[in-house]
Amino acid sequence: MTSVALQRRKATALRVWTQFRLSRQGMVGLGILAVFVLMAVAAPLLADVRELNPVYARSQGNPLWGPPGEFPPLGTDYLRRSVWAQFVWGSRVSLFVGLAATVLTILIGSVIGIVSGFVGGRLDAGLMRITEWFLVIPFLPLAIVLAAVLGRSVWNIIFVIGVTSWPSTARLLRAQVLTVKQRLFVDRARSLGAGGWHIVSRHILPNVSGLILANATLAVPISILTETTLSFLGLGDPGAASWGKTLEEAFSNGAMIINAWWYFVPAGLGILAVVLAFTLIGRTLEEIANPRLSGER
Amino acid sequence: MSQSLLTVRDLRVTYHTAGGPVPALRGVSLELEKGGSLGLAGESGCGKSTLALAILRLLPVETDVEGEIILDGHDVLNLNPGGLRAVRWTSGAIVFQGALHALNPVQTVGDQIAEPMLVHETVGSDKEARVRTESLLGRVGLTGNRADSYPHQLSGGQRQRVLIAMALACDPLLLIADEPTTALDLMVQAQVLALLSELKRERDLALMFITHDLSVLTYACDQLAVMYAGRIVEEGPGWEIFEDASHPYTRGLAAAFPTIGDMSSRLAPSGLGGDPPTPGNLPPGCPFHPRCPLGRDECRLEEPELRVSGAGRRAACILV
Amino acid sequence: MHPGVSPLVEVDDLHVHFGVARAVDGASLRVMPGEVLALVGESGSGKTTLIRAIQGLQKPTSGTIQIDGVTQAVIHDPTVQTVFQDPTGALNPRQTIYEIVAEGLRIKKDSSDERVKVENALARAGLRPPERFFQRYPHEISGGQRQRVVIAGAMIMEPRLLLADEPVASLDASIRGEILALMRQLVDDHGLAILVVTHDLGLAWNIADRVAVMYLGRILETGPTEEILDKPRHPYTRALLSVVPETREMEQQILKGEIPDLTNMPTGCRFHPRCPLLQSATLSEEISARCVADDPGPVPLDSISAAACWPVMASQR
Repeated sequence: MTSVALQRRKATALRVWTQFRLSRQGMVGLGILAVFVLMAVAAPLLADVRELNPVYARSQGNPLWGPPGEFPPLGTDYLRRSVWAQFVWGSRVSLFVGLAATVLTILIGSVIGIVSGFVGGRLDAGLMRITEWFLVIPFLPLAIVLAAVLGRSVWNIIFVIGVTSWPSTARLLRAQVLTVKQRLFVDRARSLGAGGWHIVSRHILPNVSGLILANATLAVPISILTETTLSFLGLGDPGAASWGKTLEEAFSNGAMIINAWWYFVPAGLGILAVVLAFTLIGRTLEEIANPRLSGER
Repeated sequence: MSQSLLTVRDLRVTYHTAGGPVPALRGVSLELEKGGSLGLAGESGCGKSTLALAILRLLPVETDVEGEIILDGHDVLNLNPGGLRAVRWTSGAIVFQGALHALNPVQTVGDQIAEPMLVHETVGSDKEARVRTESLLGRVGLTGNRADSYPHQLSGGQRQRVLIAMALACDPLLLIADEPTTALDLMVQAQVLALLSELKRERDLALMFITHDLSVLTYACDQLAVMYAGRIVEEGPGWEIFEDASHPYTRGLAAAFPTIGDMSSRLAPSGLGGDPPTPGNLPPGCPFHPRCPLGRDECRLEEPELRVSGAGRRAACILV
Repeated sequence: MHPGVSPLVEVDDLHVHFGVARAVDGASLRVMPGEVLALVGESGSGKTTLIRAIQGLQKPTSGTIQIDGVTQAVIHDPTVQTVFQDPTGALNPRQTIYEIVAEGLRIKKDSSDERVKVENALARAGLRPPERFFQRYPHEISGGQRQRVVIAGAMIMEPRLLLADEPVASLDASIRGEILALMRQLVDDHGLAILVVTHDLGLAWNIADRVAVMYLGRILETGPTEEILDKPRHPYTRALLSVVPETREMEQQILKGEIPDLTNMPTGCRFHPRCPLLQSATLSEEISARCVADDPGPVPLDSISAAACWPVMASQR
């Protein structure tokens, strides 16, 4: 990358950050997210991973359904395991699956959307039919079938979410590509002898990247919620602690009936907080990206 | 003695933008008689469109507007909303550039022409409005059945005619045409100009014609005013100014439109260096001096006022 | 003509049809090296389609385009570069001026002395000092400067032909002269040929050596600028000239109606329904009948000066 291009990238990043800092909603979202990311990263320091093992929990003499007063900070569950440990370690899976699944979604959606929009013709028609097919199929039955067929693991969940969520991204990007394709500077590039690759990488991508980023940031909470749902339905990885799994276990073991609120409230709030954080950040980025997409002339 | 239909005195307009206050008009005064015609020439940033919108108080609410605008005896800047609505379209109407976005894409052309009639109750019923609409369409050179077309079904020239018909809906005394022929083909432009001249004669309309194309104005208007950086820098009879301008800017602008057949401009394009100034960022003293071929040190000191430069002519330049 | 010098551009009987719509319908023209040809026409005349075909952006239905004797088969030929009508739209808002000007070189994978070449191209286009513009973005410079950037981006490829589609139409009037003067200077300094498409006859007067007038897909009249603009022969050219505000000596001939739909071409001479000469009833019956029934055909390729009009051709015998 030439020094001119590098300088330019730094300047752009700085500009986006300066604008972002001015947005209260953006900074609040970023703050919340930072807390949970730190929690996920520092999990070993915050909670002993052995606490997730019911055998270890029993050997420690933990109480059964112990409220927080008895077993700080968040009490124990039906297997005498520390709820706090589940909360801290669960954040890892929820965040990781959320991000990884989003990356897969955006990757598939962007490639299909950009290729479809740029190439046009029969390829576009064909790809759009496939996209519509995926959009029309009810998500949950498809996810259940896929999870049942592929087996229950974190990677399979990521795959399931990615493979079922890409259509809306693809459609959004295709529409944007169609608009950018019409612009005069693309004609200019063509008249300079540019081939498809040059036009897509130098002209199309930079003018849709803002949209991709904003879309990605808003897709993360959806992925997290989807993982939660799948885990809640029992399709998640039985070995991995996740907030969705916590909710599922709380539900099926009667935590609601005996009002062991310390079991399901933290996980629920955690999901709420992270989804909110990403939504706020995504909206702020969209606001910053949009004036640039249409107004920077 | 003809009365003055429109009097503008020391009009100052400042927009409030994200980047700070922007003075679009900095003290414009002009007068237009009943049935007269005035051309306003200027380039981007000179404030001519702002002036057109100001006369009918169509500027955004937060804009600072100072000065006086008297239209048909009404003090436009101080009218209450009811009075303003009564004046708009009946005393003065605007014809915008006929681009697709000047017309509502989901309404037929006939409905849009009839709208002001119904709003101002100059007709008694929908049927009457329809009759008048068709007659107006005919007058501007379109067939009556065009009333049922949508804007996208018409050509650029036809859309422009629709906008003219719409402006005439309530029989105004003043027609303000803001860049009505820009982006139109040569022949279509000539047709529209001819139409405006005819209408002016028929109805004793006062015409204010705003454009950046100086040569077009010399056709359509008796009086000409050239604007630069939010002020009028030269005014007087149209042909005279075009042939023999007093202000260096006007001279530069006129030279940009060569006379075909004149060998001095053959293979010798002429224009001004630099760029028209942005309203928020004017040079000190005379705003034109950085680009002026006759610029001197004194030009930087003070902005010149309009001074007499001939019979019925004025120019804002210290060299006059 | 120029004896011994072969034409730089030769468009021979070009047809570009979009289904039933015949946008270009048998147009032929020639541009010699170092010559500026103004292609004059209104919207619907086919001039933009013709230019796109020469640029390689539009495949012709039939006919040939030869650049420097080589038939155009490739999508682009660096010998031919374009200056666009809308300099703001022609520049990618995400690219710096440096990247925009260097783009053509990078596409060709010619990276030797890139920086020097960009500097020279910007300087030649009147943007000095060039370094000051490297890091800037299109929205940070004025309209006139953007057009100069477009010109720099074209000249860096060392073309022999510049195609300009209304190069100053969207610029402020006072800076037109400078851009036109720059274009003329490039011709004088580099032996560049320019094919400029415009409806502005004053522009043709300012920079063109020859003029070709286009109507409904065909060239109706061609010749040296002085001839066409001072003593036009085709009634369409005369009518156009009469309404140009800068020529007041002529009586205005405002044509009725607009250019007919491409799918609905008139019989005989395409211009006859709007022809003031025909309507003036001064022509003989024989010629008038020919105008309505027979198509005079397009102006032939090798004409130095010709008009596709029955009365004109009759008076030349």
